[in-house]
Amino acid sequence: MTFVPVWGGIIACYLFLAGLGGGAFITASLVKRMHPEATGVVRVGRVIAPIVVIVGLCLLMVDARGGLYNPLRFVFLLTNPGSVMTWGVVILAVFVLAALIVLLMDLIGKNEAPAWLVWVGNVFGILTAAYTGVLLGVVNTFPLWNNALLPVLFIVSALSTGMAAVMLGGLITCPEQVKGMVDLTKVHLVLPAIEIVLFFFLLFIVAHVSTAGAASVAAMVSGGYALAFWVGIMAVGLVIPLVIEIRALRSGDNRGLAIAGDVGVLIGGYLVRYIIIVAALPVVLL
Amino acid sequence: MARYGMLINTKKCIGCYTCLVACHRQNNLLPTENFIRFEERETGTYPNVGVENIPLQCMHCEDAPCAAVCPTGATYIGPGGVVAVEEGRCIGCKYCMAACPYQVRVVNESTGTVDKCRFCTVTATDGTKTCSCVEACLTGARTFGDLDDPESDVSKAIVELNAKPIAGDLTKAKIFYVR
Repeated sequence: MTFVPVWGGIIACYLFLAGLGGGAFITASLVKRMHPEATGVVRVGRVIAPIVVIVGLCLLMVDARGGLYNPLRFVFLLTNPGSVMTWGVVILAVFVLAALIVLLMDLIGKNEAPAWLVWVGNVFGILTAAYTGVLLGVVNTFPLWNNALLPVLFIVSALSTGMAAVMLGGLITCPEQVKGMVDLTKVHLVLPAIEIVLFFFLLFIVAHVSTAGAASVAAMVSGGYALAFWVGIMAVGLVIPLVIEIRALRSGDNRGLAIAGDVGVLIGGYLVRYIIIVAALPVVLL
Repeated sequence: MARYGMLINTKKCIGCYTCLVACHRQNNLLPTENFIRFEERETGTYPNVGVENIPLQCMHCEDAPCAAVCPTGATYIGPGGVVAVEEGRCIGCKYCMAACPYQVRVVNESTGTVDKCRFCTVTATDGTKTCSCVEACLTGARTFGDLDDPESDVSKAIVELNAKPIAGDLTKAKIFYVR
């Protein structure tokens, strides 16, 4: 039988945006701590965070047609506490709420958002990113998903894409503020490096789990998804942005290159979700 | 309470799809909505080769992964151990389809909800004796009944033919195969 993936581009986009939102909020908090003068960049992060997660949730509802036709059914989403998707709904709701209140207080500008609320946002930002990995991780049909490394990879990728989105927004709206952010650049540089290592571990281990695991990995590294994997994820999404960041640290900022690197991280981040969703093959039954 | 299960004897199955047609009629399904999926497998080594027809459908697992992941509780394990879907709660997120290792859940293209084998014989006990795929099978490859009753046809056949779930202990499946 030819296996047709259950989910596709829409859900990949949802997972990508949820992670990106969490990452963007945390990036804003990091910038505020490391470079308090870069207020414009903080603002960018806080604007991006709730918006992309809300867009992602809308995509989810479009994909879930049973609910789209009968919206009241979404109320039932809270009824199975054993389901990771139920946790996800709670996590995303708390995150969006916290991120929106922080953004509103930021925009009104009368009072700083209280530290505890920002921390709620930070913690639920990480949880949002982790949830997207655990959602797939508990599904034992697919060896490529059913492992503990996937949520970790998704968290790192979420931080990386969130940071790239904030830097990109910063480079467009307030480039002079981004210039001096050497410390954040270092963090931004480490993430793709960790991701490459995690990817290697994930693929190497999954390839040894079962025939279905080996077939999924083969589809990624040498099969139908090889081009997207090597060019899209590895080159455009990880190695090239890494090289650009190293160059920026050594010989100073170049706005064009930095924008290219951040766009690359975003493209790669989406493809990570997409390929992992569609390349996963089910366990062999017969 | 009974614990319903089925035996499918692939040695008797000729791959005629009559069970699938009967299922469509009985459950009033859309043309794209197949609750039974047929796998064909080549067996043996040349020149002693054969083809095995394996009809797959919801295994009504006692530890149903689809019910465990369903966020709305639309999929649940009902009376008699029948895994059922309450359409009015299903949002069509397809998490159950991913979680089912047998890939026997299908989307109803008109409602966007997910459905699967309902073990319809259980509710049809007043009218017909067994569910329609069982009745319709031309070669008598299917046996249905109460697994907890040692005297039931299905229990006796499982013992006699040494029938086993299709994929070992992948899940606690209640469809037993003779292969």
